[in-house]
Amino acid sequence: MVRFKSRYLLCEVCVPDRSSLQLLEDRSIYNTLRAAVKRAHGDYGSALFNIGVIVKYLNAHTGVVLIRSRKKHYRLIWSALSFITCLENRGQMVQCFLNCLHVGGTIRTCQKFLVKYNRQQLHRMLPDCKTDAEKQEVRRAILSCSLSNVRDEEADEDGSDDDDDDDKET
Amino acid sequence: MEEPSKFERYVYKNASVYHYMKISLVLENGNQNITDAQFKQLIICGLRDLYGEVGASFPFDLLKFDQNELTGILRVYNSGLVKLWSALTLLGSYQNEACAFRVTQVSPFLLALSGNSRELRFGDQLIS
Repeated sequence: MVRFKSRYLLCEVCVPDRSSLQLLEDRSIYNTLRAAVKRAHGDYGSALFNIGVIVKYLNAHTGVVLIRSRKKHYRLIWSALSFITCLENRGQMVQCFLNCLHVGGTIRTCQKFLVKYNRQQLHRMLPDCKTDAEKQEVRRAILSCSLSNVRDEEADEDGSDDDDDDDKET
Repeated sequence: MEEPSKFERYVYKNASVYHYMKISLVLENGNQNITDAQFKQLIICGLRDLYGEVGASFPFDLLKFDQNELTGILRVYNSGLVKLWSALTLLGSYQNEACAFRVTQVSPFLLALSGNSRELRFGDQLIS
């Protein structure tokens, strides 16, 4: 009955080239977000950030980030996301922007949304497939989307994502 | 049977969109030459320190400014009153000099700021 309610912001890191995405760390996103909140919302914002915000999950292959914040102040953190223009990663600056896909109350709802979103992305990728083998693989990935083994499924979809993207780039 | 005459009463929760604050700046080393633009810039710097760029961009107006006394009347929207007041409270220095803002009066109506019973001066005839 009495517990801390939180909001999970499911975001996607959009970069011009995917290779720079591989070395991403959750610490760099945390530091960049803290600097952006301090610039946008001052001492008040950085105090709120220190209390409740933490980067819960980061997927370097797809660029999906899960940021957790308190329920009262998630809009403040959300508004500071749009001021992020580049991420610092081991001395290198990576130009990017953070796109917020979903706001959920628990990690589980965010996972459910992510599965649905990935399935939609795969559907969108199906017409662009050049060979039949790719199409088969994408169809298999779509059919195997389910929440029960979310971690395994995400790895499979990530694999097919990368394959399709690599084949499209060549 | 006649109907009783209708009596209607209007109750406004937020009668005015703005709040007006009468403030004065107290400097440690006595008065300096501060223009009205510098006064407003000082308040904006205080807002920026506490509330960031979003807070510093909140619109407020300096309606009246007295350069000798360093007093002024600010007008701010209702949603920004708490932010402005807290920023004025926590503002501590002007050009590396200690200073403080004193808030004399706050009212949603400008007319209430014109008559302040603290500044009332009785004539000599009443003291008898």
